[in-house]
Amino acid sequence: MSNKKTGKIIAVHSYKGGTGKTLLSVNLAATFAKQGKNVCLIDLDFRAPSLFSVLKAEDSNKWFNDYLNDGCDAPNALIDMSSKLPGSGKFSVGLANPSTEAMRDMSAKDRKWEMRALGRLLALRNSLLESGGFDYIVFDTSPGLQYSSINAIVASDLVIVATTGDRSDVDGTRRMLREMYDLFEKKTGLVVNKVLDAGSKTKQEEMDIKAKTVYQVPLLGLVPCFCDILRAEGDLIFVRDKPDHPFTKIMGEIAKKIDNSQVK
Amino acid sequence: MGKKPLQILEKIRENLERLNEKMEVIIEIQKHGRKDMLQPLADAPLDVMTLLSMPDHLRKTAMTLCRCGRATAEEVSEQTSRARAVESAYLNQLVIMGYLKKERDGRKAYFYADRESHE
Repeated sequence: MSNKKTGKIIAVHSYKGGTGKTLLSVNLAATFAKQGKNVCLIDLDFRAPSLFSVLKAEDSNKWFNDYLNDGCDAPNALIDMSSKLPGSGKFSVGLANPSTEAMRDMSAKDRKWEMRALGRLLALRNSLLESGGFDYIVFDTSPGLQYSSINAIVASDLVIVATTGDRSDVDGTRRMLREMYDLFEKKTGLVVNKVLDAGSKTKQEEMDIKAKTVYQVPLLGLVPCFCDILRAEGDLIFVRDKPDHPFTKIMGEIAKKIDNSQVK
Repeated sequence: MGKKPLQILEKIRENLERLNEKMEVIIEIQKHGRKDMLQPLADAPLDVMTLLSMPDHLRKTAMTLCRCGRATAEEVSEQTSRARAVESAYLNQLVIMGYLKKERDGRKAYFYADRESHE
């Protein structure tokens, strides 16, 4: 297993949509890169691709779909975007193709294809981490029980579950942790997003207890409900553009916790 | 000195292992009432939904093999910290269920998930 000091594969997942998976994935990857690490960020949400838009790569002709479809090697499915984070480590991205045709194609795959796709994702450990010099691979996934997301979870060393205080999300996330993650024996960390009064000590203690009792997984961080994030309308890589913002600080703390944790 | 008895013991162990594997196949076939079928179920894909629906003991073995790609029962047992004979039984069970393929290379039996075969 991945007990060598190579790199780590992190999947960012959630039960419901709109919990901030892409925001967390992009900013976590950017935080690692800012620390000088070589990072590869991959959009595995083939039903609703978003990285191409966040990273303003609409005219790309390289898509990660091609790698999963056996059309090319992993490095050839990635785009070097190190220039977007000057002075940082290597920052490469694998984009999900947003064309309707590609989305339709990806949603019509059979089980055999999904099995091969899992093999391709597992092979990234060798091609990108061991031979490619990357320190981290971050998968941005689609919510819930989707094939591509479960493949990502199985292929990863750590799963970050993004959740909110929404009642249906809390309940669904709890069940998903028990009925899926536990079965795969995955190392998991929780990030609670859009938290009101996140700065108060009582709120932090309350969430810590909730993580332990309700979700039974370690809490990686609490992200307050920031109007600045809404105001940015997804147009910023926050940790790059707002280095002094509290969100950037929180992402730094989450990255530190991940960096210090031992991979089984 | 002493080498010959060791070789004999090793040979006995190998034969016992093969016998064990054959018995596992027979048990599995009887369990599923498939007395007429000695061939494994054809090409059941070992995808994540299948992994999710497996009993815990088999999932652990199957997931380990997914990560290794191709491995012997010995190699799987090193990862799962379970006995080699246990892993051998589970791997053979997965072969009978059609999720894995098995091939011999000399004295060793290798197991793998067939990702390349026909659609």
